[in-house]
Amino acid sequence: MAKYVCPICGYTYDEALGRPEDGIAPGTSWQKLPEDWTCPLCGAPKSMFEGKNTPESKSATAASAVQPPEEPLRELSAGELAALCSNLAKGCEKQYHAEEAELFSQLAAYYEMQVPKHEAKDFSQILALIEEELRIDYPAAKEEAANNHDRGSLRALTWGEKVSRILVSLLGKFEKQGDSMLEGTNVYVCEICGFVYIGNEPPEICPVCKVPNLKISMIAKEAV
Amino acid sequence: MYAVRNIRLCTKDCLCLYVCPTGATDTETGQIDRNKCLSGCRVCADACPSHAISLVPESYPPQQEKKSPVVFKMRALSTSKVKQEQLFAQLEQSASSESARRLAKAMRRSCRLMAEDVLRESGYMLPQSENVQTLLENELEIVKDEAFPKDAAKRLIALLKQ
Repeated sequence: MAKYVCPICGYTYDEALGRPEDGIAPGTSWQKLPEDWTCPLCGAPKSMFEGKNTPESKSATAASAVQPPEEPLRELSAGELAALCSNLAKGCEKQYHAEEAELFSQLAAYYEMQVPKHEAKDFSQILALIEEELRIDYPAAKEEAANNHDRGSLRALTWGEKVSRILVSLLGKFEKQGDSMLEGTNVYVCEICGFVYIGNEPPEICPVCKVPNLKISMIAKEAV
Repeated sequence: MYAVRNIRLCTKDCLCLYVCPTGATDTETGQIDRNKCLSGCRVCADACPSHAISLVPESYPPQQEKKSPVVFKMRALSTSKVKQEQLFAQLEQSASSESARRLAKAMRRSCRLMAEDVLRESGYMLPQSENVQTLLENELEIVKDEAFPKDAAKRLIALLKQ
């Protein structure tokens, strides 16, 4: 009897135990689980799960294949400055500096208005961009952060990579199912790491960053 | 170190009010008066039955140095996440169904949060850090746009230097 682990939240499906609370009897093999079965904790698709004893080597090879160009850092774009300032506003709030938080928010709002508009075609265009990131940018950055013992960066990259994988899986599902995927159910975003969840109730804790769900917000429905 | 209150945890037991030697907790703002709080005193923090009061430092240690190859690769990600945020924002605007709009909105917010996190870890975690000071000073010098909130930037530089 084998075990399969969710790479997003760490949930383990044990064939020996099944998942009786969801009607999956003990002894149900991985192959017998329906293809549209998803992780009961975070919603990750079955295809993302990894066998428990399979060594994970794909990210290392992907990273070493990419030779980074040694260019000087370019200046931060308006969009980056907006994100930087809104994050500093949060940092000030955490330190109970209300005035500073408000001032950083003003700066963030200014930069927000300067952001150039990219031409957006459809969801699949963005899906391709995130897939590209997962293939190249995340493995390369994680390798660099690990080599430099940069725990802070590694932490952010680990969360970002998991959340990006979830976005890819949700966008793929939306391409197939269309609007029915969200009808009659809710969409949630973790305010800490950006994890997106579709379901009737938010998870108790965020499966990616483990923050309690008082930090997980529901996206309100808006008429079009 | 001075006392602050986490109002999410505070259950209004008001013991801080009895133990504080200066009356710094007698406010109607939900917070402790920093001008009255005695640095390092901490009697309110110890007396609070709901663990809602803690001490925060007046100043923070300098930010840990970030290695440029790491920052370089992190910036590739902040660039792409910001771009995705923009694209989702447009899809949110142009969505033809309620579902598509909601999904685009959730993903726009998600990408923004990831961009924020990557930038924070690229050397901009502490608002008081030298990196932030330098950034604000540069922006004040470079940006000529009338709409740029100059006063906010100047005030921040003054406040963060303290």
